[in-house]
Amino acid sequence: MTDIRLKEVSKKFGSFQVCHSIDLDIKAGEFITLLGSSGCGKTTTLNMVAGLEDSTSGDILIAGRRVNDLSPVERDVAMVFQNYALYPHMTVAQNIGFNLKMRGVPPAIIREKIQKLAASLELGHVLERFPAQLSGGQQQRVAIGRALVREPRIFLFDEPFSNLDASLRVKMRAEVNQLHVQQNVTSIFVTHDQEEAMSISDRIAVMYRGRVEQVGTPEEIYARPATRYVASFIGSPQIELLDGILEESNGATFVRAGQTVLPVSIGRSKFKVGRAVEFGVRPEHVRVGENGIEGRVQILQPIGPATHVKIDTAAGAFIASVPGFLRVKPGDAVNIEIQPSDLHVFDKETGLRL
Amino acid sequence: MSFQAYRTGGPAKRIGVYIGLTIFVVWSIAPIVWLVLSSVLEQSALIAQPPDLSPSNFTRENFVAVLASASALGRGVLNSLIVSLFSTALALTLGAPAAYALARLSVPYSNVIGFIILATQMLPGIAIAIPLFLLISYLGLIDSVLTLGVVYLSFNLPIVIWILRGFFLSIPIGIEKAAAVDGAGPLRTLWYVVLPISIPPMGAAAVFAFIEAWNEFFFALILTRQSAQTVPLAIAQFAGQYQTVFGQMMAAAVISVAPVIVIATIFRDQIIRGFADGMMKG
Amino acid sequence: MATTFEKRRQNVGVLLLTPALIVIAAILGYPIVRSALLAFQDVKLRAGKLDQVWVGLGNFRRIFSDEGLQHAALNTLYFSVMEVILVVGIGLVLALLLNQPQGRGGFLKILLVIPWAIAPVANAVLWKWILSSNYGVLNGLLKSLGLIDNYQVWLGTPFSALNFLLLVDVWKSIPFVTLLLLAALQRVPVVLHRAAFMDGASSFQSFRHITLPAIKDAIGIAVILQTIWSLRVFDIVFVLTRGGPADGTVLLNFLAYRVTFNFLDIGYGAAIANVIFILTFALAISYLWLLKPKTTVGAE
Repeated sequence: MTDIRLKEVSKKFGSFQVCHSIDLDIKAGEFITLLGSSGCGKTTTLNMVAGLEDSTSGDILIAGRRVNDLSPVERDVAMVFQNYALYPHMTVAQNIGFNLKMRGVPPAIIREKIQKLAASLELGHVLERFPAQLSGGQQQRVAIGRALVREPRIFLFDEPFSNLDASLRVKMRAEVNQLHVQQNVTSIFVTHDQEEAMSISDRIAVMYRGRVEQVGTPEEIYARPATRYVASFIGSPQIELLDGILEESNGATFVRAGQTVLPVSIGRSKFKVGRAVEFGVRPEHVRVGENGIEGRVQILQPIGPATHVKIDTAAGAFIASVPGFLRVKPGDAVNIEIQPSDLHVFDKETGLRL
Repeated sequence: MSFQAYRTGGPAKRIGVYIGLTIFVVWSIAPIVWLVLSSVLEQSALIAQPPDLSPSNFTRENFVAVLASASALGRGVLNSLIVSLFSTALALTLGAPAAYALARLSVPYSNVIGFIILATQMLPGIAIAIPLFLLISYLGLIDSVLTLGVVYLSFNLPIVIWILRGFFLSIPIGIEKAAAVDGAGPLRTLWYVVLPISIPPMGAAAVFAFIEAWNEFFFALILTRQSAQTVPLAIAQFAGQYQTVFGQMMAAAVISVAPVIVIATIFRDQIIRGFADGMMKG
Repeated sequence: MATTFEKRRQNVGVLLLTPALIVIAAILGYPIVRSALLAFQDVKLRAGKLDQVWVGLGNFRRIFSDEGLQHAALNTLYFSVMEVILVVGIGLVLALLLNQPQGRGGFLKILLVIPWAIAPVANAVLWKWILSSNYGVLNGLLKSLGLIDNYQVWLGTPFSALNFLLLVDVWKSIPFVTLLLLAALQRVPVVLHRAAFMDGASSFQSFRHITLPAIKDAIGIAVILQTIWSLRVFDIVFVLTRGGPADGTVLLNFLAYRVTFNFLDIGYGAAIANVIFILTFALAISYLWLLKPKTTVGAE
């Protein structure tokens, strides 16, 4: 089984540091996603694992062996690219078989492998067609087939779905998911779409400006974001972060924002009176009702299963996600309640979770 | 008024456009038509005032005379063909890998090198003709078609590199990454993946190179004597004669111009795209 | 064998590039250098051998006092400036015409490519025939239209000959520039014209404020390119006038040729050639500077 380890991997382009000392342990058979917005270094990291780019420093180990000097094919990795990158002048069969041909596999065996694979991918009847003549979904399967036919140790995905329309994306995610369940090959998936990452990954590594902000299961990332960035990046609608100061009173801990005071639960070691923080709560944890902080409805956005409401309070604006249709109008007075355990608090300076 | 009507303009504008286009067509085509006509008319009909254009005067005698074995033009066509094909083939063989190296293989200073190659095209022929002439006469290679073909690389090679480099840069890099992951090194990527999809721009580059070589006059003038004379030289000879047989001179010009017009017509779209790509990608 | 991925690619790249570079160095690099050296020498061909004497800036100083050269420089200045104005001006008008709905024809495209494709020599002899003072069709046409009484010797006086040389080269050069400008025109997003239309702009205003700024770069490129090419004109001078009458059509390029290969004053010829090169190169720099990405109206 193939595990992957990145030890203090850095990449510099000229004077620009793309990746800062990345440490990542990927377990064998795991499906991990590198998630972040453009420029965070996720694609560069993927390319370094693939062997398409050299690291400036650090070690990349596959199955315990240092592979920095090996070419992609020597590392036994397969990759699915954005826009699939199918060879336009080759037939489907030639596309799938190309890497075997490069390896010197005899043509007879190549044919055999392609036949078998094509059957399982439902590509049997298009083997002699050219990529331009295929549908998006078929092209996707050719790209996957090309990667599969090598029986690689590692699968890499470079934002393969970003150019697809919404419905096709959902379908493709399901296929990739199923594929992983079947083949159980260690996989690294790169995307900027947090919903995508959440839905298909065993673990997610959120990246920002060349650093790994947090690595964890989707639940860990969502419920216990380690940094301000992770909290804002994950979750739709986005969490609203407000400024505040930590306070203590009668042995209980609070955060104060202007006149409003909210109880928080923060570990003793991290608590310091007067510390400037940013805090927020996930919209679905904001309860709109009769009790609690006073506020006024600003914007109402019913989306069907829920209604997003932006509520103005003395402490700042909160976004609440209420199931169903909420019977309020902009300008109405409402009250909101928040449980201390649902409050995420981050040090204002470091952005780290308290 | 609809936008469409706005673009087409009122009657005055439309008439103006038609007149303008007509003038353009006449101005472009008239000399060529006269060229062809002059080459198929008998000398006597041609020099009559006004020229007598009746079909009864159409003749092949100009072409026959001009291509007759003793004349320089027959040999000239063969020489021009050899020089042009040889030079084009050489330019493609040397230029395509070079263009790929500059475009995709992170050669150090590739931009500087690209610029220098481009800058060489600003040289007036006369600047390099003198030393080349001295060198080639010293080597005893004057008056050889192969020498001329190699000398023509001085402009064919940069053209090919320029066009192909621009095209290679526009190929989505994903395809080459896929090839690398599939186990193809740079050479095999070039051969199996990049070149097969580069046939159109290579065609355009070949057309440019061939036409430039076929039409070239200055170096041919300086570097050849008798046996390697090309078509442009033979034509210039006609013009230099004291007693000019105009019909024959035109026939010679037609022979020079005909293949090129045919090629340019067939490949006009690639040529135009080659211009556009090459120009804009500098 | 610890070469990394990128290093390995670089090595292959250098390998693939080297043959071409060697050829270019041999056919272009070496002559440029030697030509520069020759320009500082007085070189005479004696009995098949070269007699070379170093004269420093002597040749270049001679350039400044040489009346013949000054005359040629003036001819070249006139020729280049006029050619650029005519070719780019008419080319722009033509491009605008072809950009109209009525101008979108495949046949018209062929007409643009043909003059570019024919050999300058062929063009020259064709016009030599058209302009012939005895039997040329231009004379015949003008006489039958009653515009002239007698057949003219168009190439008979210096200024007239120069202008007809201009005509010959302009005829051949317009189509290429037209193609260039047409490509630029077609890149202007139609949506901009729609917006102008909604804002109530007339056709002319739309042209002036939207089209013209958008193709500004292309026009600049056309100007520079055409200037560079007008400095390289040789074939038509050689075929039509050989520099005459009275050296009225001697352009700098042709002068360098004559000095070198007719007068065999090789050093001086090299000096003239290098001056032309420097001039062309300075213009080329401006060309490349213009090509640097600027914010154009509407992205590609």
